[in-house]
Amino acid sequence: MQTPISRSSRQIRKLIGLLSLTVVTLATNLSSSVSALPLFARQTGQNCVACHAGGQFPELTPYGRLFKLTGYTIGQRTVPISAMGLISSSRVANTSKSDDPGADFQKNNQVILATGSLFLGGKITDNIGAFVQITHDPYANQSDDGRFHGHTNADNIDLRYADRFIDDKRDLVVGVSVNNNPSVADPWSTAPAWMQYVPVPSPTSSRFVDGNAPYPGYAAGGNIAGVTAYAYWNKMIYAELGGYATSRGALSFMSAGLRNADTTKLRGINPYWRLAWTHEWGPHNIMLGTAGMMARIYDDPLDTSDASTTHRTRDLSVDAQYQYLLDPHSVTGQFVYSRGNHRYPGALANVPSAFVDATGNALGNSNSSDTTDLVRTKLTYVYQARYGGSVGLFSLTGSTNTANQSSGYSPDSLTITSDPGVAAPSMRVGGNLSGNPATRGWTLEAFWTPVQYVRVGAQYTAYSRYNGASHNYDGFGRNARDNNTLFLYVWAAY
Amino acid sequence: MKRAFLVVVTAATAFATACTNLPRSRDLANPNVAAITIAQQVCSDCHGVTGNSVSPNFPNLAAQTSPYLIAQLKGFKSHNRADPAGFEYMWGLSRSLTEEQITSLAAYYSTQRPVANPGRSEATRVSVGKQIFETGLAAKNVPACMSCHGPAAQGNETFPRLAGQHADYVIKQLIVFQRTDERPEGAVMKIIAHDLALDEINNLAAYIQSL
Repeated sequence: MQTPISRSSRQIRKLIGLLSLTVVTLATNLSSSVSALPLFARQTGQNCVACHAGGQFPELTPYGRLFKLTGYTIGQRTVPISAMGLISSSRVANTSKSDDPGADFQKNNQVILATGSLFLGGKITDNIGAFVQITHDPYANQSDDGRFHGHTNADNIDLRYADRFIDDKRDLVVGVSVNNNPSVADPWSTAPAWMQYVPVPSPTSSRFVDGNAPYPGYAAGGNIAGVTAYAYWNKMIYAELGGYATSRGALSFMSAGLRNADTTKLRGINPYWRLAWTHEWGPHNIMLGTAGMMARIYDDPLDTSDASTTHRTRDLSVDAQYQYLLDPHSVTGQFVYSRGNHRYPGALANVPSAFVDATGNALGNSNSSDTTDLVRTKLTYVYQARYGGSVGLFSLTGSTNTANQSSGYSPDSLTITSDPGVAAPSMRVGGNLSGNPATRGWTLEAFWTPVQYVRVGAQYTAYSRYNGASHNYDGFGRNARDNNTLFLYVWAAY
Repeated sequence: MKRAFLVVVTAATAFATACTNLPRSRDLANPNVAAITIAQQVCSDCHGVTGNSVSPNFPNLAAQTSPYLIAQLKGFKSHNRADPAGFEYMWGLSRSLTEEQITSLAAYYSTQRPVANPGRSEATRVSVGKQIFETGLAAKNVPACMSCHGPAAQGNETFPRLAGQHADYVIKQLIVFQRTDERPEGAVMKIIAHDLALDEINNLAAYIQSL
């Protein structure tokens, strides 16, 4: 019988073998053909470092931000397709504290094709351009027999019309974006749609990798439809204002591939706004900004008949970014603080909990509203657009609500149960015993970009608190640090 | 859904074939776009609208000599100039520029007014650099820079203007000349810069930036 150690070292050897093969193959193919470049690089003919700080994305350079804000229209029309793939292996610190490790950590420590994306877009006319990402998740669904099934759906979509009025006295970029994710049109990576570690594997294959963690904010997510208008004046003030609604009718492609039951349904038009001040001096640039969104989200995506069944969310954030870009050095510091307010529909407020406390006393009723506070920071350094590393900190705190409890004491047995047959089944691994969302930790990453289309990385996410507690957060003895995850990957785009 | 998709595709195709915005185009493959439009809509992103760049990653172009600018743009386009600053940023942007656009871009930048470089230069480096610039280094067979680049580093025909150039850019290019063959059009600089020590390069760059 194989020990877990010999199996894991075999897996790691396999991953290293695969990494080397991928790198060598790609390096051989790509270095011989400078015309074979991903979509935007083909369009401008430039190297990735022109637009992406240190060549790592999604972080943009000042030029990259202008490329985006001017509607992806710099350059010349080209083959409008790129593809991206991710091969990875992730390893959770503790897989034994689970009553069904096979289901909870099925792909743990295995080399998998984690996700793939197809990009369409680039320059369409002098004023119109597009960024369309379609993502395939090989582990999207799991059938009763435990097998995974892949699924493909619309990911980030940003269609733009932009114009620029510039001479030696003024510079005004104006535009309109039709997109499917609030803040996806934003050119700074502190925006909720972009402030995450990239790449990430399929969440179902590795739920504790940073980027797959459950951060709240702009609750609607990436499957709604919105129109935002923006202006960037004298490279100093950026303002964006727009509204989001359910993706339907002519804009239903914004949620293409998603089942109706998985598509967020919004009531009416929901406002999103953004304001930022920017400044550049020498090799430095800085941004200070604020953003927010108010949304009314139907509790049941399949029933939008009753306005009283909507959740009302309000997110407000302040963010800042500093960059030092002078070849061969690239430094990016990011900070975002976001406060979320979530008001529940009447039917979900003040509801008695199905759980009791350890001595059998009733727990408080559910809250009528919750607040969350999220702080995220990240510091990245890249040398020669080739060797990079980063450290990120995240801290989510918020109000305690018995409705958030997915673990608890059964009123019948006064024990924590994972029996799905009982009225209130508790959850291991993902459970929340406290009803508090607090999750805190840090991420360290080191990566190597041997050629600009390939990135090899090792990322470690460590938790000091998870779902409200550092110890026994699920009631079954699982500690926050048991979720610490090592994530190794080879990412490639073409 | 299918109909909506068809409408979007048809509209996009119609735009693509019919819709141009010549006065404010960022199309680098359309020979009808005026050089000043390209300069304002595209080049300004890095080099500044008047050719005075903010980031030292990108050289100042204001008042640069026209023959030098033409030679560089042609060098980028032909891939003759192959230093990282060239191929990473400029090969692609220049690949479809016409002769006329190149000449007009050069004319545009050569007539812009340079502003003093806001970068700080150490006074001691400036004074040592000035001496090398004006008299050369006889012991190392380094001639006076001013003999070709002019007494005020204002440039002369294919010899580029250096005055006010970012020190970081000057350092990197002198190293490119000294250690590589990535700029064959400047082969003469390989001989001149051959024996310059890094410290001397830094001094020269400090002086040039201060001009």
